[in-house]
Amino acid sequence: MNLVVAPLLMPFLTAVVVLLVGGRTRVGRGLTVASCVGQVLAALALLVRTAGSGIQVVAVGGWPAPHGIVLVSDVLAALMTVLASVTILAGTVYGVLEMPARLSHPLRLPLMQFLAVGIQLSFLTGDLFNLFVAFEILLVSSYALLTLEADDWDVKQAFPYLAMNAVGSTLFFCAAGLTYGLLGTLNFADMAMRSTALVGDPRLMALALLFLAVFGLKAGLFPLYYWLPHSYPTLATPVAGVFAGLLTKVGIYVLIRMCATVLPHELTGLHALIAWASGATMLLGVLGAISRNFIRGILSFHIVSQVAFMTLALGFFTPLSVTAAIFYIAHHILVKASLFLIGGVAALLNRTDDLARMGNLWKAAPWLGVLFLAQAMSLAGLPPLSGFWGKYLIVVEGVARREYVLVAASLVASVLTMFSMLKIWLAAFWNEDPTVVVHTEDPRWRPLAWICAGMVAISLTIGLGAEPLLRLAKQASSMAMDREGYARAVLSTGGKEVQP
Amino acid sequence: MNATRSVLFEPVARGLFFVLHVFAVYLLLRGHDLPGGGFIGGLVSAISWVMLGLALGWSEVGRVLRVDPARLAAMGLTVAGVTGAAPMLWGRAFFEQFFWHGTVPFLGEIHLGTPLAFDAGVFLVVVGITVKMIVVLGRSTSGMRAFPRVEADRYFSILEEPIEGPASTPKEKGGTDAG
Repeated sequence: MNLVVAPLLMPFLTAVVVLLVGGRTRVGRGLTVASCVGQVLAALALLVRTAGSGIQVVAVGGWPAPHGIVLVSDVLAALMTVLASVTILAGTVYGVLEMPARLSHPLRLPLMQFLAVGIQLSFLTGDLFNLFVAFEILLVSSYALLTLEADDWDVKQAFPYLAMNAVGSTLFFCAAGLTYGLLGTLNFADMAMRSTALVGDPRLMALALLFLAVFGLKAGLFPLYYWLPHSYPTLATPVAGVFAGLLTKVGIYVLIRMCATVLPHELTGLHALIAWASGATMLLGVLGAISRNFIRGILSFHIVSQVAFMTLALGFFTPLSVTAAIFYIAHHILVKASLFLIGGVAALLNRTDDLARMGNLWKAAPWLGVLFLAQAMSLAGLPPLSGFWGKYLIVVEGVARREYVLVAASLVASVLTMFSMLKIWLAAFWNEDPTVVVHTEDPRWRPLAWICAGMVAISLTIGLGAEPLLRLAKQASSMAMDREGYARAVLSTGGKEVQP
Repeated sequence: MNATRSVLFEPVARGLFFVLHVFAVYLLLRGHDLPGGGFIGGLVSAISWVMLGLALGWSEVGRVLRVDPARLAAMGLTVAGVTGAAPMLWGRAFFEQFFWHGTVPFLGEIHLGTPLAFDAGVFLVVVGITVKMIVVLGRSTSGMRAFPRVEADRYFSILEEPIEGPASTPKEKGGTDAG
């Protein structure tokens, strides 16, 4: 039962211990890496347990829902914790290998662990206000990580991130207050039960739109993504990999949780709005990516564009399309994080990630090129790589629902994704500019490339053997969309008697 | 800093330091059932530290407190986290609370529980973070290094450029992204 707590308790304890012993010491670094491995194992155990024996609920302090705060792990949440812990492990190991202890920043490892606490708590919480707390932990750590080794320019780029997310937090707070006013509860399961009676009430729709604004901002949806593509490129490679892989996906996870589990399924207007905002996002995001000419900039805009595929699938809102959204999240977290790491290795070899000054990488490091190509093609959605299956399901669902404009938008966005990936490929790998030096004598790049290879291996496995993950995603989506089942599992969990 | 020392303010701050700490601990102890608790108590304690800093100079706070306030906060988080996690070792729920109720000679009837340990952790976190932030701001606005030399190792990497100082021209960062 208490296994649900492990994915967030372990990073918390690691963070405070590393703060005390120092993030630059051998003990601190070793402890963090060991703890990250442990977190992956704990998350995997949680996933196995949840997939095998249903929703796991912990009533914190023994106080049962809806009065106490509960931590809930269904298959969707457990899958997300696994993906998050894998990404954080990769980012942490990359950071440790990239920088010798003497040069590394002493606060980065503890802050990454606090970030992990926020991320995992957002996945596992079953309470709206607790989710707000999780978002705050996540955001405060990310503000600190963004400006950790910043110069004036980085601070300027980080400012929109801070401003937008501060506005988002305020709106979230208002939304939580309105929820309590309207439904009289903040527990997800209880909200699900009580909101069913309010179907057709414009107040519920208004609340749902407010939620969409809050979580769409975190996810980077159409009018609200301005903060993302300018702030991410200022980050150090391993931190950027973790941010790119996970932060927007927290927003998407919460959107799925809200639409599928908490709010009534009859809010079709909300779903249509999500779908159309996604169509706009994917086109604008990919156009932004084409306009950039450095690797991290291109990849950052791609996050925006790719996020829209998941929300488009959510917007179609059929059991199959929600399955596709969950599958796409799993694919995207791994591919996007590993692309950032591969881009980091390429930048390490060329000492820049400005495409105008890169080149010769294919000759010097062909395997790095293979890794990049595999992930780039996967991002664009070429069969049989992992990106293909998600997109295939989304297009099938779109055609079945006769949303031809949105299907066309997603196909155009995929082609343009391919185009911008080829831009990196041609400029950094294929280009044989004799004046560009490749620093293969730097001993760090090989171990770093091995980390990327590990990530690529996982996502290739997903692509080539899509069936098991698809089955898991199907189980996750049917569990998440079963509002009565979720509410029953949470509300029937016993605890202490609540005294009047 | 010495130029602004005041004959009146200094002894008042010294005296109030103890009074406020007694009050802070009182707030901490009554917090479980009545208004009060670790957060408020921690703020009261932090106010007394800030007053001490204003009266005697910011380097005095470091000398009196001995430990880096941020480490104090880390210890507080450890205490709070361990209080939450410990019941799980005995198979109980995360953050489950236990009480002991009894009579103690001289003190009378008392009611002690694990939430007190958690609240003490919160107290330390609040004192640590507040004092750290205000001391850093206070030091850097009164012409001292924001962090004492011994602490720099815990807060900066060698590669970092100081953020204060004249604004440099924007470096060329990855091509033409001037937005």
